[in-house]
Amino acid sequence: MRIGAAFVQKWVVPVSVVAAWEFFGHTAILPRYLSDPSSIVAALWEVTADGELLQAVTASLYRVIAGFAIGTAAGVIVGLGAGLVPAVRNFFDPLVSFLFAVPKIAFLPVFLLLFGIGHTSKIAIVAFSCFFPVFIASSHAVMSVDKLILWAARNMGAPRRTLFFRVLVPAAAPQLIAGVRISLAHAFIVLFAAELIGSHAGLGELIAEGEDAARFDLMFAGILAFAALGFIGDRILMAVRARVLKGQAMGTEEEVAS
Amino acid sequence: MSARGWRLIGRWYSIPLLLVVWQVAVSSGLVHSRLLPSVVAVWDALVVEIGDGVLIYHAGVTIGRALTGFALAAVVGIPFAAAMARSPLVRNLFEPIFFFGYPIPKIALFPVFTYVFGFGTPSKVAFTFLECLYPIVVTAYLGFRGIETRLIWAAQNFGASRTTVLWRVVVPAALPAIFSGLRIALPVAIIVVVLTEMIGDSIGLGYYITIWSTRFTFQNVYAAIVVIGVCGFALDQALDQVRRRVVHWQRVIPR
Repeated sequence: MRIGAAFVQKWVVPVSVVAAWEFFGHTAILPRYLSDPSSIVAALWEVTADGELLQAVTASLYRVIAGFAIGTAAGVIVGLGAGLVPAVRNFFDPLVSFLFAVPKIAFLPVFLLLFGIGHTSKIAIVAFSCFFPVFIASSHAVMSVDKLILWAARNMGAPRRTLFFRVLVPAAAPQLIAGVRISLAHAFIVLFAAELIGSHAGLGELIAEGEDAARFDLMFAGILAFAALGFIGDRILMAVRARVLKGQAMGTEEEVAS
Repeated sequence: MSARGWRLIGRWYSIPLLLVVWQVAVSSGLVHSRLLPSVVAVWDALVVEIGDGVLIYHAGVTIGRALTGFALAAVVGIPFAAAMARSPLVRNLFEPIFFFGYPIPKIALFPVFTYVFGFGTPSKVAFTFLECLYPIVVTAYLGFRGIETRLIWAAQNFGASRTTVLWRVVVPAALPAIFSGLRIALPVAIIVVVLTEMIGDSIGLGYYITIWSTRFTFQNVYAAIVVIGVCGFALDQALDQVRRRVVHWQRVIPR
């Protein structure tokens, strides 16, 4: 019975919000720009049926995946390098600590000028934003690996390669993946802003289009699709993490947060 | 030169080095100066725009909005996180919203915010509030929940009242987590304000960047980027100083 009560409590807020939205949306008490859930679902069905949604999702996904992959890969490689080699660390640390505080989207005008208004500029700005959290997380992760583990492995005669792949990387993995998760969130934020500010395709553009045409149900359909993409992306990352870490993160803050 | 001097150079040489490479690349004509203005041009723009107060005005607008939203999120979020950690009812009601909503890119809702709150400061502050609320609540909540019950039992054993336990045991134990949440949220606040100003506004650094980039005057864009970087860095350092004061027993926060 207790479990039943907890279950009800967990669902009462979301369900009542949607119900109230639906009710007040139809009775025209809410302003028109808030639309209502059933119209949004209808709009979602409409854009799915005519393929517009698929096109927008494909464009957005392509950009976010490419940018995220490039930025994260660069962040991991340079970050691991910075964690291991003091010279690399000394070169990148001042630059990163200055640039980290700057919203990377501020560079969008520059990127638009350099790479044009198509895919490339979005991929570049997403990659650029993804680089920083991953770089910081992986260099910190490497530096905070327990020296005893490394010494123990070296003592048992592990060659450098084994030391790197079997000891250092696994030990750094939890913190590193936490950085990757932050960078994935950044990727979606930056992509959305970039698509809204200057783009000819993608979900951001679909949302702006719905807004311009006063089709608020369409706007919300786009918002819903975008939110879903971000959510699913995070879930996939967490599933991958669970496999990679296999219990390493059990009981830590990260585990609860996922 | 002293050893300390050399160490400073070894630690910070990359910024001047990059500036020199940048300047040489532009003045030798390797990179077109319309694409990338020279360091000197950016510096001149910075001096002029700070001198006549324009950049200071816009920076004031942006930082004011960011800090307002951030402070609101902290004031609302931290007690809320405590309530969620202490009361099963509040936890059940709101936990799904925070933990399912956490990975959702909330920026997608910004168009709705502009309809509800208008184009000016209120929509930016409200949106910054929302974006900061998530990291603050989630980290503080985990901090409040992660308190060792032994500590609370011990305090109760010594006859501490509920309020004493709250203020002398629970809050101090959760402070490191609260501060790491604040430290995540602060740059988020600045990012969100600049970003939303770029999408639509007529004041603020984001607007300043947009307007000068449409006029292809990129030295001003870079000048604004420098200002944002300096502000962000200064605010982060200030928060860290506060943390050192308040959480004086803890030296380093794992980020």
